[in-house]
Amino acid sequence: MRVVVAPLDEFPPDSRRIVRVGGREIGVFRVDDRFYAVRNRCPHQGGPLCIGRIFSRIVSEQPGEFELDAGPPLLVCPWHGWQYDVATGQSYSRGDPRVKSYGVSVASGSELVAGPHVVETYPVTVTEQYVVLDA
Amino acid sequence: MIDCDVHCAPASLETLAPYLSDYWREYTATAGIRLVGMANAYPPGAPTSGEAVPSDYDTLCKRVLETDSPRHVVLNCLTICEAHRNPYYQAALASALNDWMRDEFLARDSRLRASMVVSTVDPDDAVAEVERLGDDPRFVQILLPIRTDAPYGNRRYHRLFAAAEEHNLALGLHAWGRAGHAPTTSGYTLSYLEDYVSNQTIAQTHVVSLVSEGVFDRMPDLRVALMECGFAWLPALLWRFDKDWKGVWREVPWVKERPSVYVRRHVRATTAPTHLPTDQPAHVRELIDMVGAELLMHASDYPHNHGASAGALYELLTETAREDVRDANAAAFYGLDPAPGGEVR
Amino acid sequence: MSVVQTTPETPTEVPRSVSLVDCDIHPTLTHPELLKRIAGRWRRHLERFGRRTPMITEFYPRTANAGFRLDSWPEAPGGFPGSDLGLLRTQLLDEFGIDYGILNCLGLLSCHEVPALAAEITRVLNDWMLEWMDEEPRLVGALVVPYEYPDLAVREIERRASDPRWVQVILPDSAEDPLGSRKYWPIYEAAVAHGLPVAVHTAGYWPHLDTGWPSYYLEEHVANSMRMQSQLTNFICEGTFDALPGLRLVVTEAGVSWSAPLAWSLDSAWELLRDDSPPIDRRPSEIVREHVWFTTQPIEEPDDPSEFAQVVQHAGLDDRLLFATDYPHWDFDSPTQALPRSLSDQQRHKILAGNACALYGLPLSARA
Repeated sequence: MRVVVAPLDEFPPDSRRIVRVGGREIGVFRVDDRFYAVRNRCPHQGGPLCIGRIFSRIVSEQPGEFELDAGPPLLVCPWHGWQYDVATGQSYSRGDPRVKSYGVSVASGSELVAGPHVVETYPVTVTEQYVVLDA
Repeated sequence: MIDCDVHCAPASLETLAPYLSDYWREYTATAGIRLVGMANAYPPGAPTSGEAVPSDYDTLCKRVLETDSPRHVVLNCLTICEAHRNPYYQAALASALNDWMRDEFLARDSRLRASMVVSTVDPDDAVAEVERLGDDPRFVQILLPIRTDAPYGNRRYHRLFAAAEEHNLALGLHAWGRAGHAPTTSGYTLSYLEDYVSNQTIAQTHVVSLVSEGVFDRMPDLRVALMECGFAWLPALLWRFDKDWKGVWREVPWVKERPSVYVRRHVRATTAPTHLPTDQPAHVRELIDMVGAELLMHASDYPHNHGASAGALYELLTETAREDVRDANAAAFYGLDPAPGGEVR
Repeated sequence: MSVVQTTPETPTEVPRSVSLVDCDIHPTLTHPELLKRIAGRWRRHLERFGRRTPMITEFYPRTANAGFRLDSWPEAPGGFPGSDLGLLRTQLLDEFGIDYGILNCLGLLSCHEVPALAAEITRVLNDWMLEWMDEEPRLVGALVVPYEYPDLAVREIERRASDPRWVQVILPDSAEDPLGSRKYWPIYEAAVAHGLPVAVHTAGYWPHLDTGWPSYYLEEHVANSMRMQSQLTNFICEGTFDALPGLRLVVTEAGVSWSAPLAWSLDSAWELLRDDSPPIDRRPSEIVREHVWFTTQPIEEPDDPSEFAQVVQHAGLDDRLLFATDYPHWDFDSPTQALPRSLSDQQRHKILAGNACALYGLPLSARA
């Protein structure tokens, strides 16, 4: 189901929101101009993953190299620090369970009004743009 | 069968005289230095010390080569551990020991290999020795006693390890080392029993250090043999290390895979001491499965005696695993010819 | 409008089974709070000179959210993870339905201070924990003592032990002497005399280093398990348990899976070397089974969970494992998630509550 999370201009870069959809909590993140969404539950021990920090990936071929990478960042669980690619939900430590990830897009009010049905958390205006979660 | 840990040592400084300069002969005489046979680590009267360490080829023949018929033996001479902190003496003693081993053992029997002795106080001197002897294929690794000033992953050792890798030498981490500051994180050990079992926790510190400091990322062809350090502690350590790494990897971002992957790829352990019970075969089998027999390399650790549990280990291995532990694992690790009828790994 | 007076209802006390005991919770008394409570002469001392020993965090910064669950910081300014009883209640005790929680305060990790100051710090910490226990009946406490000064430590134990809410005495895992040393025996004697187990908890100042300083917090954290292996080895090899047959030791926050390999190696060595250590007249593994308990956190997580069940069996730990969360540290174990499915229901119940109730004399039924 598609869920309108917020008007685009109320969702600034480097911010996040946690959305309740049915029985699930999903964290929606904006990093620069890209949006990501993952389940707010760390597959490790159930911690509130989406209140964790967002960090850049680090490229390090040799000891002492610490280059921050511009690719999809990592969401770090606020408990044990396990790290997940915010785009795919894959654990940094391959082989560990991934966290469920979801699509996020920006849609205009007119598209949303046209359908298919979306869950509206507040009124949609055709002239505005909105962040839409595909949950 | 390949025996990965057999001890040798010069009987006295007189044996080394031909290999030491006039200055060092005078130095050792004036200072009253005697080689006391690592009495702190292997007290002569202790049941675990066994008989005298072979100091000549004929004795080695009688006691090891003729009794056990190994295809190859890796000799370890720990005499360097008795050396003091004078870096020049260390370097001179290391060279003397290596030259003595070559003449006394390596030149006389093509089955024999050895750990190259290097300075334990100065990595640059150690590098110089590796450069001097590294092309001699009879040295298969460098001897690194585990009781030392810094964990072996520390950057000060990286140039030594690079030299070792370049010359196709493994790192031979061996129990004991320099006596001096408290051997454990608890403090001084008042009994030999406590000191003896402490080698295994110290070895763990080094394993964690080697991985954490990116030694295997920097030198991907490096191999590490843990000698006389036990191995039953490996599963618990690796479970913990993997889990901790998952939370803290950003501190050491060059460690790109789980630590256990590095350890299984680069590290092996000799079978003496085994330190496993002889009356719990089911439990021991489970423990061996957790360790993985592919990590183990047979060693008699002659002349040391660690009790009956080594026998129990072999009884519980499958036939294939036994062959691997007794020969193939070490042949692959040290690049030795495979046993007749054995596969090239 | 008339005001209707009502009397508050007395809650009906319904006994129910205790199902969850948390054997390692870390309350924090912040430094400003400590200064408010400490005697004037020592407040002036601390304000002028501070503590003599750096915290271990200055050697190895905790590169994981500064060492704490990110969600455990209280909102009120000046708060610190573990400093707010309200948050501890909601986030831990209520959230997981904990019946009893043991306060293990790490406020005196290093005892390298003037003896009277060390003793005063422990008085302040213990007094403060009593306030929490007064307010929250689910909490019980571990006595902090100035352990490098055994006479003063004994005095603190004697002063406090009659309060049944003190369930153990706590020491860190590194000290001037190995913890099994005769030096510390008077402390253990006093604990035994009052029926208190002794918990040895990960952390300390590291006056001894085995083979030198590691570089990274990752290494230090893994070494929590090796350090405890050394201490347990020491307790056995110094004959501490033979000298103090009533001593019950709780190995805290060091993991569990190394127990059997360590005990096996000690057995193997003891067979050959027992003449060296006359006080050890039975197998070390038997000594461990009789005298030692282990808290579970940070629980090891092998890829194959059945291997964890195996090592529990190897060491015979069914009756010796004590569940712990280590709240609010980052490597916290969740009571609902941390124990592997490979353990049986009976094992789970023992680990989650039964073993702790037996060890600490906690009633198996609690008020609703």
